[in-house]
Amino acid sequence: MGVVNRTLDMVREDDSHESTRNVNRRDFVKAAGATGTAVGLAGCIGGGGGGSSPTSTTGGDTGTVTGPTTIQLAADDNFKGKQQGINDLLHENGVSDDISIEILGGSFVSSGRQSKYKNILNAGQTKPTIFMMDNGWTIPFIVRDQIANLSQELSSDVVSTVKEDYVDTMVATASMDGDLYGIPLFADFPTMQYRKDLLREAGYSDSDFDTWATESMTWQKFSNVVADAKEAHPDMTGYNFQGAAYIGLSCCDFVEFMSSWGGSYFGEFDNLFGPVGDRPITVDEQPVVDAINMVRHFIYGENPGGKFGDYAGNISPEAVVQYKEESSRKPFANGNVLFHRNWPYSIKISGAEDAFGTDLGAMPIPYGVEASSSDYGPEIGGIPSALGGWHLTLNPNAPADKKAAGREVLSALTNKNVQMGLFELGGWTPPVPSRINSSRAQDLDLIGRYVDTLAVASKNAVPRPVTRVWPQEAQQINKEVNAAFKRDKSASKAVSDLKAALEQIEESV
Amino acid sequence: MATEQRTRDGGDATTGPVTLVVRWMENLSETQFAYLLLTPALLLLAVIALWPLLSTFEMSLHADSLSGGVGELYSIDELFANYYDVITGKRNALMPSPFLPTELSLNAIFASALGVTLVFTLVSVFFETIVGFGQALVLNQDFRGRRWVRVAIIIPWAVPIVIQGMIFYLMFQPGIGLFVGQEGNPALLQQLGLIGGTPLADAQDATMIIIVADIWKTTAFMALLILAGLQSVDRNLYDVARVAGASKWQAFKKITLPIVLPTVLVAMLFRTIQAMRVYGIIETMAGCEVVPSLSCLVITSFDNTLNATAATVAFITAGIIAIVVSVYIVKYARDEMG
Repeated sequence: MGVVNRTLDMVREDDSHESTRNVNRRDFVKAAGATGTAVGLAGCIGGGGGGSSPTSTTGGDTGTVTGPTTIQLAADDNFKGKQQGINDLLHENGVSDDISIEILGGSFVSSGRQSKYKNILNAGQTKPTIFMMDNGWTIPFIVRDQIANLSQELSSDVVSTVKEDYVDTMVATASMDGDLYGIPLFADFPTMQYRKDLLREAGYSDSDFDTWATESMTWQKFSNVVADAKEAHPDMTGYNFQGAAYIGLSCCDFVEFMSSWGGSYFGEFDNLFGPVGDRPITVDEQPVVDAINMVRHFIYGENPGGKFGDYAGNISPEAVVQYKEESSRKPFANGNVLFHRNWPYSIKISGAEDAFGTDLGAMPIPYGVEASSSDYGPEIGGIPSALGGWHLTLNPNAPADKKAAGREVLSALTNKNVQMGLFELGGWTPPVPSRINSSRAQDLDLIGRYVDTLAVASKNAVPRPVTRVWPQEAQQINKEVNAAFKRDKSASKAVSDLKAALEQIEESV
Repeated sequence: MATEQRTRDGGDATTGPVTLVVRWMENLSETQFAYLLLTPALLLLAVIALWPLLSTFEMSLHADSLSGGVGELYSIDELFANYYDVITGKRNALMPSPFLPTELSLNAIFASALGVTLVFTLVSVFFETIVGFGQALVLNQDFRGRRWVRVAIIIPWAVPIVIQGMIFYLMFQPGIGLFVGQEGNPALLQQLGLIGGTPLADAQDATMIIIVADIWKTTAFMALLILAGLQSVDRNLYDVARVAGASKWQAFKKITLPIVLPTVLVAMLFRTIQAMRVYGIIETMAGCEVVPSLSCLVITSFDNTLNATAATVAFITAGIIAIVVSVYIVKYARDEMG
């Protein structure tokens, strides 16, 4: 009201100086009328132009590729950088020369792309034709019925190849009710990366490193190795990982700690993907508490619960509770850290000639109990490795000719040469176990030195329990686990709070 | 067009539509005419501000639907179920952070959306006003190079939020930043006990750092607005005060402050509204998981497909901002009348 009153005051003020008023009402109406007419005409012309433009060129709804077709593939900036190489690779392996792929870059932050794709598909947009989706959030798109059912779109040969040959836990993250909705593009398996040069100085030898590369060790042995190495290099940080309150903790780092002790969020492996609300919640069991207490022992050397007397403590910096992938990798790449848990991209950076080169070692993540002594084995327990990786999915709203081209590209991905070509081109690990350490993979520059370790990890991959409520559950998990890592809560309090929250979420559906 | 044609052709000039409209307008009272001129602006406001608000409100009366969109409209006797659940904490497990503190402790306040937003708003606006006022008083003096100092003060305000967030993020990142030392070799702020070893993972430390970052950036905004107010003070008044034997403090209290106060209130109003909506700097520095402001809660709920809950929190946020704003407006109106 104040504003209105002041405006009126101004009007009144103007009125008192009648002679100085330059525009009278009659002129104002004329000017406004002329402007309105002009805008109206412009709008009319604009609209007419839009209406008559030839937009309907997709008339031939035959479902085949009849001429040069360019389809868009939404991926990340690494893929965008290799657009030409990927096109060449596909053309060499049977994809028609008429089809070309335009790769759209995107954020490396997985959740950023998830919301973007959600908006695109919610709006029913026809572009892009193919999406690269994280195995951690493909299922919610399937539940919302927003991506094409590939069991209907692709030939049965292709579908059965995927179901039989690929890492089965990964295929499970792109399937629903026996139907396939995504073709795994590449898999990601974490490893423990370390500095061979510094460990040699601590008394370890190359034969140790060779053994470690394929044979996982216990956390107890691992902690003592780190402590030995730290003794030889007191200024360095022993072992770092990602412990911040973010999705990476719930999906990956904590899944590893937990399943290495035989613990699980929802009991048996079969429960991971549902049924929501009708499965046991087992986060408050002893193995989960042990996993948290072990991490606290690693950080603070406090050995809560007294179980870790013969484990070395104080081997991890307090900063792990704030670390995500990049923030933990940088200190390692700067040469301040001895052991570092990360994905293969970090091997490619740190294993380069101008970085640590052959002095970079890798081994599978250590374990707490053998798979055989886990209640939920053999899938859960023993050597843990969180499953990362990405699928390609098809946009059901794309025009028929683009969809046909998309089908051709997706089918070509099951070709061995395409998978190995992608491995060579950008280090994208094939999602097929037998190819990860094939002789062709061993010959690869740099990453070839580590494929045996990756192969071990691939056999022990544990996927995150992706259901439609996983985003909510992941949030509660990372909040509670991070609070326990920070010593804001005891491990048992954190897991009982977490169980209560998870129960509420499961019941909400 | 056709009308003008007819008029020019000697048609009935006294009854043409344009003539009728003009005559109608000329007969309007001044008040009516003012409202007529304001109509387009008000219409625009209704379309781009009021409609989304009403639409958000409508969404907040639906149930959540995890498969996208919103669920069914609640029946009339539980129409406000979302509001009830959000405020009483029944929905805490589904939301990234509780709306209200779950208990009366410092940790719980900093873990709740409303708590952390109010702390941020109160502390940041208070210090920005004080520091901004001080800067404005200095800049109001005549001294050599004053123009350059004015430019220097406004530089932080020109830094984009994301860049600023990264600067502070890197300063407080262990292993990289200068404000965080190693365990055996803590940095100055840690020796003083102001921050812990991992400030950006700790809700209280992170909130404090975000407040400092916000003060660093937006004090310039306050200073500029207040400076504009100071410049409008008639210098002759100070001469009168001097002749009357008033001290500097009396001159400030009796002349400067009353004249500048409305400007300060407007500046504080702008800052308060912005502070209540804080999001960008949190997301780039510490993340919404650590400092869950109201806007963070809206966005993270929306990202988790809790669209109706997100709409509920958004509408409550708008309501809280409206209450805070009306406090200022009442105060402003009183000042103006008094």
